[in-house]
Amino acid sequence: MTTPGVLLPGEVVPQSALPATKKGTLTLGPGLHHVPPSTISATTTGSLQTDNKKGAIWLETSHGRYQPTVGDHVIAQIHHSSTESYSCILTPHTPYAILGQLAFEGANKKTRPQLKSGDLVYARVSKTKIECFNSATGKSEGMGPLKAGMTFSVTPSFARRLMMGTSKDGQAKGGVVVLEEAGEKVRFEVAVGRNGKVWIDSSTARETIVIGGLLVRADEEGWGVEMQRKMVKKVLRDV
Amino acid sequence: MPSEVTPSTNNHDFILTALRQNLRLDSRPLDTYRPIDLTFSSDPDTYGQTDVRIGKTRVLCNISCEVGAPYPDRKFDGVFTISCELGPMGSPAWEVGRQDQTEIILSRILEKTVRRSGALDTESLCIVAGQKCFHLRADIHILDHDGNVLDAACFALMAALLHFRRPDVSIEGEEVTVYSVREREPVKLTMTHHPFCITTSFYPSRQGSDDDLISVLDTTLQEEQCRTGSLTISLNRHGEVCNIAKYGGVGIEGLSVLTCVNASLEKAKMFDRLLKERLAEDEKARQAKIGAMGLELSAENERVMERPVG
Repeated sequence: MTTPGVLLPGEVVPQSALPATKKGTLTLGPGLHHVPPSTISATTTGSLQTDNKKGAIWLETSHGRYQPTVGDHVIAQIHHSSTESYSCILTPHTPYAILGQLAFEGANKKTRPQLKSGDLVYARVSKTKIECFNSATGKSEGMGPLKAGMTFSVTPSFARRLMMGTSKDGQAKGGVVVLEEAGEKVRFEVAVGRNGKVWIDSSTARETIVIGGLLVRADEEGWGVEMQRKMVKKVLRDV
Repeated sequence: MPSEVTPSTNNHDFILTALRQNLRLDSRPLDTYRPIDLTFSSDPDTYGQTDVRIGKTRVLCNISCEVGAPYPDRKFDGVFTISCELGPMGSPAWEVGRQDQTEIILSRILEKTVRRSGALDTESLCIVAGQKCFHLRADIHILDHDGNVLDAACFALMAALLHFRRPDVSIEGEEVTVYSVREREPVKLTMTHHPFCITTSFYPSRQGSDDDLISVLDTTLQEEQCRTGSLTISLNRHGEVCNIAKYGGVGIEGLSVLTCVNASLEKAKMFDRLLKERLAEDEKARQAKIGAMGLELSAENERVMERPVG
């Protein structure tokens, strides 16, 4: 990813920043607006990102709330249960997401998990609902109820960066190395939800707090990779 | 009707387990406050506007005054009202026009702490007995809610009252003249003492038992949602308690109230020190600004001014 710069709402994307595509089509992502015939302006503040291979251009922002998209992994909180489904909270003050009572791995009427109000599940957004298994294969793929642990709130964009994974040469694509660095020192379980929630569980409360705190600070203070490495080392030395 | 999202069972249990091990999510001791920040308006003519931040909680307080008639049964007293506004800016759970439980408790405790304890000498607001007095109004706005709104609001209110200056007045026979800020140096309010609110939250130290309680100061919103009870003590730096408020929750023993008062006294002293420090800094900054404009000001005073309304 290249960063041609930061745009403010209403600013016009310079022609030179547009990706050169073979096909000649341009895909506009979030935060951009096309004014015919050929003006592209920003609708929000963010840094301009382009992908030459896909011919895509979009704005990367750290604000805004989470908009569910099919395939996203999210951490949902059960609000209430009804005969057919659970109503879950993805983000506060938005309509509930529906999680089927049987949308778990190997669940039937007798073996389905009994979830109470306030419980957490790691789920995936499907077309109209959320589900805790891959409906194509029937496997849980790491999804399901989350027991114990603690969730920390981060911005949706930081959660996205956390989930980008590593490229072929072992570099974190999203520029977040806190989890990898901390993982070398302490053992913990982690689940990242695109709705801006990170669930962490380790053997002691202290470790969980320290790792969660590092993530939240890295997000709020916008730490770079070097800063993250330094802080993780500094903080984990005392644990 | 929106309401605050309750923490998940996982978070609730984790916060309790951590507190039982003397740990908090933001890694501070149980009896410490988050960093407190207090700023005044940078405009040298604006007095009594404060912006208090305790961690992510942010409260704005503004004091205004106008001349009006006193209450017929209190001829020698000025009028002092406190109004609290909890809008959707502070928390999505608050709506405009709908009184929330937090709002009622907040205004009630502030009323008792500051007004009923006689912190402000309302007699000094009287201009002509039974006819003219100052109406002082404190508007408190919660801009961001991350727990412990009460302590922050009380601190903001006290800071604003101590910072505020009312216009100077002179009385000649029947005629009352109210001078503008430019004409005559405005007058500080007469404060008898400086009370502060300190809220202690209680958590059960064992599952399902209320005998032994953990007390925690300056809770964040998440911690506040997990507590089993709270106690708000209003006192000044001399340890004079003017109000103890406990709205429901778990019962606490008399002896632990005393322990709470002692712990709160330390915090009240801390608030008082911080406030004095900031007021002195602000005073200095204002003097420096006025010093630069001193010449202009003296020229202005020699001109014939229009008679102010009063």
